[in-house]
Order: sequence, then structure tokens, then C-alpha cells
Amino acid sequence: MNWFSHFLSLLVEPFGYSFMQRALLSCALIGFTNGFLGTFIILRRQALLADALSHSLLPGLAVAAMIVGLSPGGLLLGGLIAALFVALGAQVMARNSRLKEETAVASLYIIAFALGIVLIRFAKVKVDLTHFLFGNILGVGDGDLWIAYAAAFLTLGTLVLFQRPLLLTLFDVAVAQASGVRVQWVETGLLALTVLGLVASLQAVGVLLSLGLLIIPAATAYLLTDSFNRMLWGGAFLGMICAVGGLFISFFANIPSGPCIVMLMAVFLGAAYLFSPRYGVLFKLIRGRHYHEESLERWEGHQGHDHQVPGNESKS
Amino acid sequence: MLRIEDLTVSYHRVPAIHHLSLSLTSGHCVGLFGPNGAGKSTLLKSVAGLLNPETGRILIEGITLDKAASLIAYLPQRESVDWDFPVTVRGLVEMGRYHQVGLIGSFSQRDQTAVEEALELFNLSPLARRQIKELSGGQQQRAFLARAWAQEADLYLLDEPFGGLDRTSAKALASALGTLRERGKLLLVSHHALAEAESLFDTAILLNGELVACGPTSEALSPQNLECAYGTAIYSGSHDHS
Repeated sequence: MNWFSHFLSLLVEPFGYSFMQRALLSCALIGFTNGFLGTFIILRRQALLADALSHSLLPGLAVAAMIVGLSPGGLLLGGLIAALFVALGAQVMARNSRLKEETAVASLYIIAFALGIVLIRFAKVKVDLTHFLFGNILGVGDGDLWIAYAAAFLTLGTLVLFQRPLLLTLFDVAVAQASGVRVQWVETGLLALTVLGLVASLQAVGVLLSLGLLIIPAATAYLLTDSFNRMLWGGAFLGMICAVGGLFISFFANIPSGPCIVMLMAVFLGAAYLFSPRYGVLFKLIRGRHYHEESLERWEGHQGHDHQVPGNESKS
Repeated sequence: MLRIEDLTVSYHRVPAIHHLSLSLTSGHCVGLFGPNGAGKSTLLKSVAGLLNPETGRILIEGITLDKAASLIAYLPQRESVDWDFPVTVRGLVEMGRYHQVGLIGSFSQRDQTAVEEALELFNLSPLARRQIKELSGGQQQRAFLARAWAQEADLYLLDEPFGGLDRTSAKALASALGTLRERGKLLLVSHHALAEAESLFDTAILLNGELVACGPTSEALSPQNLECAYGTAIYSGSHDHS
């Protein structure tokens, strides 16, 4: 009994510090929101676009740091504008020239990244690049928390409300458009939410980790289910569990929180890759290899198992 | 039902369809024929509202396309579908009801019935729980027809649905199309093989950039018309190339 109460008090220890409370809350919020959003990004096959956007935040952050210093609101706005500029700029470029969209995105984001590195030298305050990439979870202030709340509310609200048109668009753009969905709006909205998700997680987990939270939990859920809804909510809960769990591990093991969270997500992804009952590599080896009735259907007029395959009468 | 007036659609100033006018009534299965590049896909996409016509207009039951979207079901080409998408056959058919259900409304009894009926009509009930990749090519086509049925569409647009289907699946698809025609739907189907045209379609449209012929299949695909469309008399009755 004694060891148990000791263990329990150890477990609640982090909650005693206010910086830890804020860190845990923001991890839970960001993990859940990004995990939820991740399903849409994966099914739209925009994981690499999200990666590009995460790099393109930099010039916006640099300009914000030049003008207003390191206030959360300024950084949010700066990053948002820079990333939207790259994302929409690439779309415009792709539409008006023979460049394909991925070429335009790749060119623009790397230009933006370079511009950011140049601009950051002129910032009033010293901006640490590792801080930008991996965040500083213990430095999460009240302003950052408010931004996380707002981003979570806006993102989850929009995605839940427009889930049906989104689903139609993700599944088949042409068909969705033919059935009256305003595909252009849906796609632009999704892009804007991706950028918001990245920027909102900036202080807490950094852009690289934010990208991980966008992709890995949803990818794990994708390996486990054939239901869109389960993938959606599964990714969200998994993201939250990994973000909070990773933070706990980092607290006790005294390792940086960002890599801890990513490694925990990696464990889940690896487990799903190997052991998923439907799509796991190992179970594929054991499971029945085909549907029996598929071959039977070829014999016209035969339904179910009471059929007579020519030349095979004695067996059936 | 479907009325096309003076339609021109061009890609980079090259017209794919040139001043085309025709009108079709409900309860027909219409085959769309013509050589490669004749504008078959372009015509289907225009009617689906995916392309902006340069001239002319398209009317469904007398109303313009943007207001008639729910009456039209455009069936995607097989290559454009992500078959790994996390959706079951039932989920796919339910998508057809989204228009009626609205943004956040829940499925009513009527919506459920429509879904069940669509699954039943296309013999998909036993497969309803399968992920869409776990279907044969013909079953996948039928699943999309069921979705269109659940949508209560009146105009079905199919781009080369018979491409890559084995004989059994093609037969099942043909009978599914027949069922839809009997229920008073209008089907517009692009097709490349002329051999079985008369058994599949009661009406045919022959296209080569411009409209060559539109009418009962045997008349529209007369040797003279085919020569006009293909530039050479290749049609010598149904025969086997092998």
C-alpha cells in the first residue's frame, strides 16, 4: 500500500507546478486538435504540404519579432500571414503557369525559409531556432493558452460542422463538385486550418512536433480502422494521449519533451503497423487470404454455396 | 430532361466540343460514342458542371446546372478514386444522402430506408460492411450506382464504366443500368466498343467534336454516320477482332 501511495504522489507531483499545469493543458489541447485535423490532411494527401507550410512560417515570425517582439498574438498573426501567402501563392502560381503545384510550393517555402533566416537577424530580440522547431513547453504563458483554446475551438467547430462536404471532397473532388459542393472553399478552408494548427502549437511544441501531431496519430488510426469517424476521433484521442504521456515521461526522465512526445507516437505507429488486426504486416500473414464467394460469383446463376462448378461436382 | 444548347468547350483554345445541341428524355440508356478525343469525357464533365462552357448552356428539367446539382450523379472513373479511403460500402451509399440530410442533421428513418433500398437494388446488402477495396470491379461500379440511387438523382453520368470489367461484371453492370432505365432515369454512358452497342443502349450519340448523330442506336450508328465520325468505314457489323 505504501509503495502505491508513493507512486500516486509521484504521479500528481507535476500538477503542483503552475508551469506544468499550463504545459499539460496546452499539450492536451494541441494533441487533440492536431490529431483530429490530421485525418483530413492524410486523406487529402497533404502531409508534405503541411511540412512545407511549417517551414514557411519563419519569415512571418521574424517580421513579428522585429515589430512587436515575442508576444504570442504577434507571432500568431505573422506566422499565419506568411504561411497563407506561401500556400495561396503556390495555388495562384500553379493555376497561371505551367508549374505544377508541388513545384510551386517547394520553391516558395524554401524561399520563405531563407528569407526568414535573413530577417531574423534584424529582430529586436534573440530568436532561438531550436525553440521555433521544437517549442518550449515549459515556457507556455497564459496568452499561448488562450490561443490554443481559440484554435482548438475554431478548428474542431469548423471541421465538425463541415464534416460532410469535407468528406465528399476528400473522397473524390470531381464527384463532390458535381453534387454541388463548393470544393474550392473547402480546400482553402482546410489549408487555413492547417496553418492555424501549426502556428497555435508553435510555443508549446514547435513546428516540427506540431507536424508530427498532425500526421502520426491520424496515420496510426488509419492503419486500425475502415471507419472515417473512428479514424477522426481515434487520431484525436491518440494525439492527446501521446502529447500528455510524452510530457509526463519527459518530466520524470528529464529528457526534452518534444522528442519524448514524438517517440511515444512512434511506438503506437510501429505497433499499428505490425499488429493492426486489419492492415498490420504480421496479421496479413496469418489471415485468410481471400473471400471465397468472390470466385463463386463468376459462375452465373449460382448464389451462395449450393452451386455446382463444372468439373467440380463431387466436391461441392 | 436534359437539354444542351449550342455548347462549346475548349482547352487552351482548342475546342473539344463545338456548337453541340441535343435534347434527351427520361427513361433512356444513352451510349456516347466517338473516336478518341471526340469529346466524350468533355461532354460528360460539362453536364456534371465540372467545366465552364465557352458558349451555350445546359438545362436539366428546364433549370440551370448550378441549381440542379442534386439531380445529377457523376460516377468517377476508376482511376480517380482512392480505394484505400476509410469507408465501407454502406458509408459510401450514405454519402449520397448528405445533400438531403444537410450539414449536421442526423439520418432520419427515410434516409435509412433510402440507403437500404439502394443496397438492396444493386445486390450489395451482403457486402455492406466491406471496405470498398474489398470489392470486385463490377461490385465497385454498382456501389457507386447505389450511392447515386440513394441521392435520388435523375441523371446518371458514367465515363467508360465497362472499361476493365470482366464478362460477368459487365453483364451485372448492364442489368443494373437496365434497372435504372426502367425506373425512369436518364443514363448517359460513354463507351468505346461498338460491337455490343445495340444490346446495351437504346439510344446513341455519335460524336466527333461536333454532333454526328443522335437517335435510336441502330440508326445513329449507321455505317454512313460511323464513316463520318471515324473518317473511315471501319464498321462491318458485329465481329470479333481476334
